[in-house]
Amino acid sequence: MNDDLYKPFLMRIESARDEAPDVRTFRLKFADEGARAEFFGRYRVGQFGLYGVPGEGESTFCVASPPTRADYIECTFRKVGRVTQALQDLEVGQALTFRGPYGNHFPIDSWKGRDLLFIAGGIALPPMRSVIWNILDRRAEFGKVAVVYGARSVADLVYKQELAEWAARPDMTLVTTVDPGGQTPDWKGKVGFVPAVLKELSPAAKNCVAVLCGPPIMIKLTLPVLAGRGFAPQDIYTTLENRMKCGVGKCGRCNVGSVYVCKDGPVFTLDELSRLPAGDM
Amino acid sequence: MKTIAIDRLPDLAQALSKAGYRVVAPVDEGGVVRLREWTKGLALALDAVPVNSVKDVLFPRSEVVARFALEESGGFTPAPLERSAPKTVVLCARPCDAAALSALDAVFNWDYRDGSYNARRAATTVVSLACFKADEHCFCTSVNGAPDGTAGADALLRPADGGKKLVFEALSDKGRQLEAMVSDGQAVPDAPAALKRRFDSAAVGRWLASNFESPFWKEAALACLGCGACAYACPVCHCFDLQDESDKKECRRLRNWDSCGFGLFTLHASGHNPRPDQSARWRQRVTHKFSIYPQKFKTFACTGCGRCARLCQAGMAIAETCERIEALGR
Amino acid sequence: MMKALREAAAKLLQEKRAVLVIGYADRKGRPAVFVSKPEDCGRLVYDSSCRQNLAAYLGKPELRARLPVAVVAPPAVLRSLVVLTAESQIPAGQVLALAVDHDAFLGVFDAAGAAELLRSKFPDLGPEKALLERVAELSKKSAAERAAFWAEEFAKCTRCYACRAACPGCYCSRCIVEKNAPQWVSTAALGHGNYTWNVMRAFHQSGRCTLCGACEAACPQGLPLMVLNAVLDREALAEFDARPGYDPEGKPVIGSWSAEDDHSYMR
Repeated sequence: MNDDLYKPFLMRIESARDEAPDVRTFRLKFADEGARAEFFGRYRVGQFGLYGVPGEGESTFCVASPPTRADYIECTFRKVGRVTQALQDLEVGQALTFRGPYGNHFPIDSWKGRDLLFIAGGIALPPMRSVIWNILDRRAEFGKVAVVYGARSVADLVYKQELAEWAARPDMTLVTTVDPGGQTPDWKGKVGFVPAVLKELSPAAKNCVAVLCGPPIMIKLTLPVLAGRGFAPQDIYTTLENRMKCGVGKCGRCNVGSVYVCKDGPVFTLDELSRLPAGDM
Repeated sequence: MKTIAIDRLPDLAQALSKAGYRVVAPVDEGGVVRLREWTKGLALALDAVPVNSVKDVLFPRSEVVARFALEESGGFTPAPLERSAPKTVVLCARPCDAAALSALDAVFNWDYRDGSYNARRAATTVVSLACFKADEHCFCTSVNGAPDGTAGADALLRPADGGKKLVFEALSDKGRQLEAMVSDGQAVPDAPAALKRRFDSAAVGRWLASNFESPFWKEAALACLGCGACAYACPVCHCFDLQDESDKKECRRLRNWDSCGFGLFTLHASGHNPRPDQSARWRQRVTHKFSIYPQKFKTFACTGCGRCARLCQAGMAIAETCERIEALGR
Repeated sequence: MMKALREAAAKLLQEKRAVLVIGYADRKGRPAVFVSKPEDCGRLVYDSSCRQNLAAYLGKPELRARLPVAVVAPPAVLRSLVVLTAESQIPAGQVLALAVDHDAFLGVFDAAGAAELLRSKFPDLGPEKALLERVAELSKKSAAERAAFWAEEFAKCTRCYACRAACPGCYCSRCIVEKNAPQWVSTAALGHGNYTWNVMRAFHQSGRCTLCGACEAACPQGLPLMVLNAVLDREALAEFDARPGYDPEGKPVIGSWSAEDDHSYMR
């Protein structure tokens, strides 16, 4: 696979949307059809890539759009440092580099016929959004679909337009929540931390797969709620993040214990995760 | 049998040069033994472990991995990358360095094949020189190696007749290509250095796999000051950083050596660092070499060359850590 | 001498005037050893083969969490402790020196006491004769020859930063090479970046370097770093009367300004 490991795809920004303070989504088109076909020949939902600005560097984010939408890819990221600043300085129409798709993927084919519960917090919705859209684009293949999404405040909720679309769909359930104090006067969703909201929802574990992404504290407090409802560790999926540079298992930076997040991940079941050293995360 | 008198080695180097090979050999540079491009007149240093390793030849400290021409408007176009893989002979590599190449072959070809590493590997013929002595830092025999080990090498030069001659043994097609340059002869091979095993590396690997939270790590790295000397000198360490450098006209995406010992190595943009102190970073170094790498690639990421211990002023010797771990495990 | 050193160290631990003693181990290469129990002080040695500057450990968060600390300190290390005190890097009263020199244990000192000891017993410490000879040899060469010499030396640098780690004066929580917005210094181990790194580090130590030699000892490639430090040490002395390590309240040359400074170079 791929002899010239660092040769990127060239992408052009087709559109940009501000999601939340410092958080932006880019819709990117491949510079040529051959590249697009090559990418979508390999891309599976859950994979990530390295997005770069020549002269500034590369940054790692998930691909926030599903393989079922094969004209473009999207990424959503927060401005936190030099490269993300440079990316956000780009205008619609400008070019950037992309390397990927890297990593493993959500095994959605094995979820056919099962109910799906997606739980996300804050800026962790992007990797989930990719798999949620993948499921919705193949809706008939799956059972019930529920999404629980929370952020610190209303302003911090990402994909606000899509949340409205999902709320309006009869073939899924959406519950949104903000932390206490994060609500606005016209906020119609719940107020409370995601684990508490989830507990209140009391999801059924039977024949259900849970996918969970969020800040460590949210994960830590949500897992017991799922365990309490009877979810088995091999039916709970999450994605790990780590500092990355090469994306292809060589630079030695992203391992958690004996697992390289860029190659053996970023998608893991709780069962797999529980065998990794928590002290290396 | 193919033999060469030890003081005729420079002639062999010269013949290789004439045959179009770049010759890399250990050279005495005023007391410091360094592996470098050999030219006629440079004194070969045969009985020391050089400060640098053969890894330098296949995986240089800094390498351009992508290039872009930059436009005034802010745009860019990819620029061609010249791959540099000159026909090279590493003459008189230590067997521990050659064994390290086998370990590096594994990671650089783990699903994704690193084209520039492989091009250099294919273009390089490694001629090892068996060790007839070892110092107190050497421990190749503790990591499945030997002073006359052949792993990773294309040919082996074995001291003979009391060190006066060398017997040339080809180990691969690349090695056989050099046979014609070595004359026929007879000699009695000397015994290689006798190196007692210092620790049971398999036992160390087993302990590491199940003692991540051990209090052993708390004090184990007090002396470590977190530089990259050990990682850079190590023939197997291969961690790297990718950095863009540019001027108005061009951007070069560089791959530079990096070390898991540095504080910033795993620092997230959020400020979170999974390895926030030196004890966590030392644990990673040891665990990667003796547990993680073997789990994935069936070989240790350490060949017992002893460079890390030899040059660390703070006394951080990985073999000593392994000995202590083995004692803990008993 | 060892007996006196070990007894003094044990006494400090017993009396809880220090919870940790940082010294040199009785092993080849004399690496650092960390002793927290009085009965383990037998592990402490000192001789001329001790090359680490133990004051460098005071920058390590794990050790800052274990103050008060006592450090075995030959004259260069004593100077480093005084410099660190003058630069507000050592909380008052938290570091004691177990002063040693060649074959004598000289006593336990705080920063002020160490400075006084240096002024009375080791005044005017500077580069040793052998080092000055190396500088003189190099100075005989033409500028072009010297440029070629340094280009060849710096080409060997792998940017391992062992020099930085070994130096007590390098205590920046984020070194300038670790800053990327902007990236002031190239991180690649190539020509100009290597030159910048080594020369710049020497300049950052000018007027602060105590000539301990730990950087050169730590360099895996054998770069002649002390030559740079010696030259700048003499310059700092000649131009600014800089005597780092003799005054616990002394201001660092590169960190202070005086109206009497020569400004003729500004045009």
